[in-house]
Amino acid sequence: MSQFLAQPLGWGTGLIFALSAVVLLGVVLGFVTYAIYFERKVVGWVQFRHGPTRTGPLGLLQTVADVLKLLLKEDIIPALADKPLFVLAPLIAFVPSFAVLATLPFTESIHFADLGIGLLYYIAVSGITTLGSLCGAWAANNKYSIIGGMRAAAQMISYEIPLIMSLVGVILMTGSLNLIDIVNKQAEMGMWFFIPQILGFGIFIIASLAELSRTPFDIVEAESELVAGHMTEYSGFRYAFFMLAEYVYVFGMASITTLVFLGGWLPPFEFLGFIPGIVWFILKFSFMVFFYMWLRATFPRMRADQLMQLGWKVLLPLSLVNIFVTALLKELL
Amino acid sequence: MLGLAKGLSYTLKTLVGKKVTLKYPDEPIIMPDRFRGIQHFDPEKCIVCNQCARICPTQCIDLTGKKPDDPEKKGKVINTYDINFEICILCDLCTEVCPTEAIVMTNNFELASFSRDELFKDMKWLHENNTNVRKEQH
Amino acid sequence: MGTITTEEMMLNMGPQHPSTHGVLRLVVTLDGETIKAVDPVIGYLHRGTEKLAEDLNYTQIIPYTDRMDYLAAMLGNYNIVHCVETALGLEIPERAEYIRVIAMELQRIASHLVWWGTYLMDIGATTPFLVAFRDRETILNFFNELSGARLTYNYMRVGGVKWDVPPGWVERVGEFVQYMKKELASYHQLVTGNEIFLKRVIGVGAYTAEQAINYGLTGVTLRCTGVKWDLRRDEPYSIYDRFEFDVPTATEGDCWARYRLRMEEIVQSLRIVEQAVAQFPNDGDFMAKVPRVIRPPAGECYTRMESSKGELGTYIYSEGKDKPYRLKFRRPSFVNLSILPEILKGENMANTVAILGSIDIVLGEVDA
Repeated sequence: MSQFLAQPLGWGTGLIFALSAVVLLGVVLGFVTYAIYFERKVVGWVQFRHGPTRTGPLGLLQTVADVLKLLLKEDIIPALADKPLFVLAPLIAFVPSFAVLATLPFTESIHFADLGIGLLYYIAVSGITTLGSLCGAWAANNKYSIIGGMRAAAQMISYEIPLIMSLVGVILMTGSLNLIDIVNKQAEMGMWFFIPQILGFGIFIIASLAELSRTPFDIVEAESELVAGHMTEYSGFRYAFFMLAEYVYVFGMASITTLVFLGGWLPPFEFLGFIPGIVWFILKFSFMVFFYMWLRATFPRMRADQLMQLGWKVLLPLSLVNIFVTALLKELL
Repeated sequence: MLGLAKGLSYTLKTLVGKKVTLKYPDEPIIMPDRFRGIQHFDPEKCIVCNQCARICPTQCIDLTGKKPDDPEKKGKVINTYDINFEICILCDLCTEVCPTEAIVMTNNFELASFSRDELFKDMKWLHENNTNVRKEQH
Repeated sequence: MGTITTEEMMLNMGPQHPSTHGVLRLVVTLDGETIKAVDPVIGYLHRGTEKLAEDLNYTQIIPYTDRMDYLAAMLGNYNIVHCVETALGLEIPERAEYIRVIAMELQRIASHLVWWGTYLMDIGATTPFLVAFRDRETILNFFNELSGARLTYNYMRVGGVKWDVPPGWVERVGEFVQYMKKELASYHQLVTGNEIFLKRVIGVGAYTAEQAINYGLTGVTLRCTGVKWDLRRDEPYSIYDRFEFDVPTATEGDCWARYRLRMEEIVQSLRIVEQAVAQFPNDGDFMAKVPRVIRPPAGECYTRMESSKGELGTYIYSEGKDKPYRLKFRRPSFVNLSILPEILKGENMANTVAILGSIDIVLGEVDA
């Protein structure tokens, strides 16, 4: 695939590149559709319910119906909203979420851009989404929105720091920011990074939950206080875009966790190597997605100020300790 | 952290545990005999004593009587009997005071309709609502 | 260098808001996320129960009390019939009293279960709500068999109860008590130890016993400050003096204390139900000899009882007719709500719902 992507850009190859991006988009949309379905099922099962069962066989078409409903809804822009910004905000939120997927390798051969700074690119570009939330919150001219937007901005900025810091340990051990190199390093070591980097892994999981603003860190759209946070005034397909961005990040974050800490496409034991790498990737990836849903079905929500305290006073110092210890061990061993 | 883990273990257990939901519209809910559903009215038994209309806390019962067709008989017979289910609270007091069990409760509870007019039930409708009549009477 | 000026923001929470438990409206003045002032606006569910009652005879008032605290309708039923019975000086058959106590204590459990579920929902956990409703469903089914309704029972009558218990009902209630005692462990497993939950409730919304008494708080909202006051123990009505139960108290006066007390009250109510089931008389009337038309003697009568929310009282001014001249309900939700502006001042915006939820109000009762 690398060679395929390295072809000179012409009309023909350009078209093929665009088509392959569309294929990825299709895969991601399919994932989002069934992630939402599966989430509702899992949460339902936990709560002694069955989840959606009535739309299509086993309720499989529920999300399709929901999205269709959103697309058919009237496009409402509040009278006092800042119109251009209001229209632009869902796009600002969504585009980076899709753009970050370009660097994710799914196996050694199935990948798009093989970027030297893949990990950094992911973190950097994903930060732009916050801007979308904030713009949307500001443009909507609604008090719940603005509080939600401010919380979103504060949360994203605070948690991006421990998120990156927790990855530094892995980067030190690998000596590269390239995601394929990181997985290959894990193959070389014979163990996945969540064992030597257990502290970093813990911090990363917590910080990534906050970045995704999922339970227990879903204060951005804390339903019981802020109605729907920055999305309060949005409806129809603009709302769908925000939701889409959220779930595409679930895709992205679960992939990154799998690649960096859970060995990507590597089999857990050597003798299981005959099973193709993509299967392992999907298994680990699905486990991560299930983990997010499991937490959602169990935990209450943290308070905004406690969230900040956790980020700045606990996670950041811990991640610095992690970097220090990793560097020390790397020098000594 | 222990509390978090305990909660997670509980939700993992219920994830595969028994489900408690009912397949409601597909399988009707069987209500116990005493259930207070929509009333059934039997004009034959009614003696037009007006007690039900008087006890009703929301004044949702309207009834009129007329002279019996047979001039030999005394008293009155029921002419119209309407219950307005927009305001009926199914409190069961009308059936409780009825001396002849002319008005009784049934286990039917499906009242949803597209128009408010349909909630205004007359004697004929109430008489035909004769399924699942409550067995235990006052 | 210019100075940054900030403005206070007025935020309308409700009447349509996910966690105002109905149609309460809170006009919140915010400085950033800190609350400067709160003004609860009530009355969106006002139906004029007290005024309507002046035009209704005493039997007709009973279904209206169902709809005040609709999560504890049995207690509301008892509230009015107890007052009328006291005014009439009626002797209630023992069997009726036992049925009433079992119904009331089950109702208290059901009411606390709803509180537990919705409170956790306010704090952001969705599963507890369904866990609580699963067990509440069993209680509602008991009431459905007993009275024929799941929520608005209209079950108690002046002088007794509407029906006798159905066959096997008391035994099944006894089985449920045993089940519920075990099941409570999983409630604690899911929520009580959860560190995130503890962080949200410990030390939040605290007030002192003095404040609580000054505002006239009753029930759990009073006992959480260390005042041991429960009308079932201190002014036994019905047959509560025959049962052994504790009145749990705490001293912190915060949301965490109120949470613990309500969970503990479920245990105590289960104890009462268990004893009542064991002592349940085999035969006897379930209705006293009551005149066909109920006419309390001219004069005033006030009775009070411990509902799931606090002290629930009825005041009747009778002219000796079959309808009250004036009827007044002392509604605990309404009184307990009055402390909200005081304890919310200076709190973080996110604590609003945690504190409001911990007071346990039902808007049907606040607005009556």
